[in-house]
Amino acid sequence: MTRLPVPDSGDLRGRYPEVFDRPVSSRLALPAMLLGAFGIFAFGLVELEFSPARMLAGLNQLGWITMMMIPPDPGSSLPAYLVALGETLSIALLGTTLAAVLALPISLLAAKNIVPSNIFRFPVRRFLDSIRGVDTLIWALVWINVVGLGPFAGVLAIAVSDFGAFGKLFSEAIEGADRKQVEGIRASGGNALHEIRFGLMPQVLPVIAGQVLYFIESNTRSATIIGIVGAGGIGLQLAEQIRVLEWQKVSFLILMILVAVAAIDWISGKLRFAIIGKRAVA
Amino acid sequence: MLVVEGLTCRFGTKAAVDNASFSIAPGSFVGVIGRSGAGKSTLLRMINRLAAPTEGRILFEGVDVTALRGKDLRQWRARSAMIFQQFNLVGRLDVLTNVLMGRLAAIPSWRSLTQAWPEQDKALAMSALEQFDMASLAAQRADQLSGGQQQRVAIARALVQEPDIILADEPIASLDPRNTRIVMDALLRINKHFGITVICNLHSLDLARSYCDRLIGMSAGRVVFDGAPAVLTDLIARELYDLEANDVMGSASPVPDGATVPELGTAAAA
Repeated sequence: MTRLPVPDSGDLRGRYPEVFDRPVSSRLALPAMLLGAFGIFAFGLVELEFSPARMLAGLNQLGWITMMMIPPDPGSSLPAYLVALGETLSIALLGTTLAAVLALPISLLAAKNIVPSNIFRFPVRRFLDSIRGVDTLIWALVWINVVGLGPFAGVLAIAVSDFGAFGKLFSEAIEGADRKQVEGIRASGGNALHEIRFGLMPQVLPVIAGQVLYFIESNTRSATIIGIVGAGGIGLQLAEQIRVLEWQKVSFLILMILVAVAAIDWISGKLRFAIIGKRAVA
Repeated sequence: MLVVEGLTCRFGTKAAVDNASFSIAPGSFVGVIGRSGAGKSTLLRMINRLAAPTEGRILFEGVDVTALRGKDLRQWRARSAMIFQQFNLVGRLDVLTNVLMGRLAAIPSWRSLTQAWPEQDKALAMSALEQFDMASLAAQRADQLSGGQQQRVAIARALVQEPDIILADEPIASLDPRNTRIVMDALLRINKHFGITVICNLHSLDLARSYCDRLIGMSAGRVVFDGAPAVLTDLIARELYDLEANDVMGSASPVPDGATVPELGTAAAA
């Protein structure tokens, strides 16, 4: 066994005092932070009237609802549910596609390598930010009042809120593109449109396609939620069945949604691989 | 005749190119030599107008190139084709489309943007690829090719621009010795066969001596040498390269004995 020579701790302490005696403030920082976080948490519980007693009382109810859900059974409404599910999927698909088509030209205006001037880019960015700042659900409530209840309002809600998100994501993808490839086009005598069409788009489109597919996937879930507030689709059916306490139908609807989301997940995953290539994902 | 008059490019207070003046006769093969950071790249990029000169003028056949704008500027860029160290091909486009990029200034925008390339231009691109033994790879994506192959595609792109000048910015700096030779031979062949002026930035002095019929030496942005390779003594070269002298003058990079001009189409066999 190796034995190191015993160092002179007094000498080392003299040379590196901060290692041996950490100041009180730094030693107390972590416990103080934990204590503060706990305080905020406790305050929140009290303020929001969190009560274990009510949970325990309600637990009984939760168990009862679960019992009522088994077995899942659509009754005679299966055709209506399938139509509603189809509606939800089309809301997601149409809304996302519309958002992507509208966002692509705007995202060019928000990209630094296309519009170098801060003065022109800034308003476009803020515009996209403010649209994105309002949630899909709020947009759904707005559009329901504008165009009436139904899937059309749902499509508009998703299109508008994701327009903001896509505008930002696309412009970041464009800014991340390799400048050398664009320069190759410029040096050969291409104009600005050529630079975008041949220099940027081949680099950016696979990234954009991946993002759009992911949004279609996640919008299948969003479309369910906005259905609950009246924008059509399977969410509307779900809300109604909960209201009339038809728990077997509720559980059947939930299962339908799970299967649909899983299927979309699987399909879009396959497509993403095909577009981007395994290499880029790995 | 390309004339450069008092050309200066400043980035902030630092002059990348400082008051460069020279003129280049049509059909010559000029090597621009000097250390990294001597201003060689900036000089070539200014001639193609990728970089904007701070002062001075560039004249080509009496026309002030530095004043060109819009369509005229794009026509000039096509006439002064650029070849880059990193090839600057569009990786996700196929080889043929990359070469067709060299035709952008010559055909209407609606045709190029919709990829409705005229038959004649496609033929031009394919024959350029054939000259560099690349025609069989026309449908491959450019990012799947090796460095040497990519640079040959880039040279084909430059050639279909039907340029008067080819500006090659360290074209062999990312290549292995074998591809170095293939690419330099291709440039030399273009120069002798089509009479296209070649201005080539080179780091290696040996390569510059064997391929070029005139050398322009740059140091800290200034032109410090201008003459035939034979006039460039070891003493001047050492001043030009300073501490790097031994690296660039050593026989580290293999050079063909006396650059012979290969016949057109022989690169395929080589």
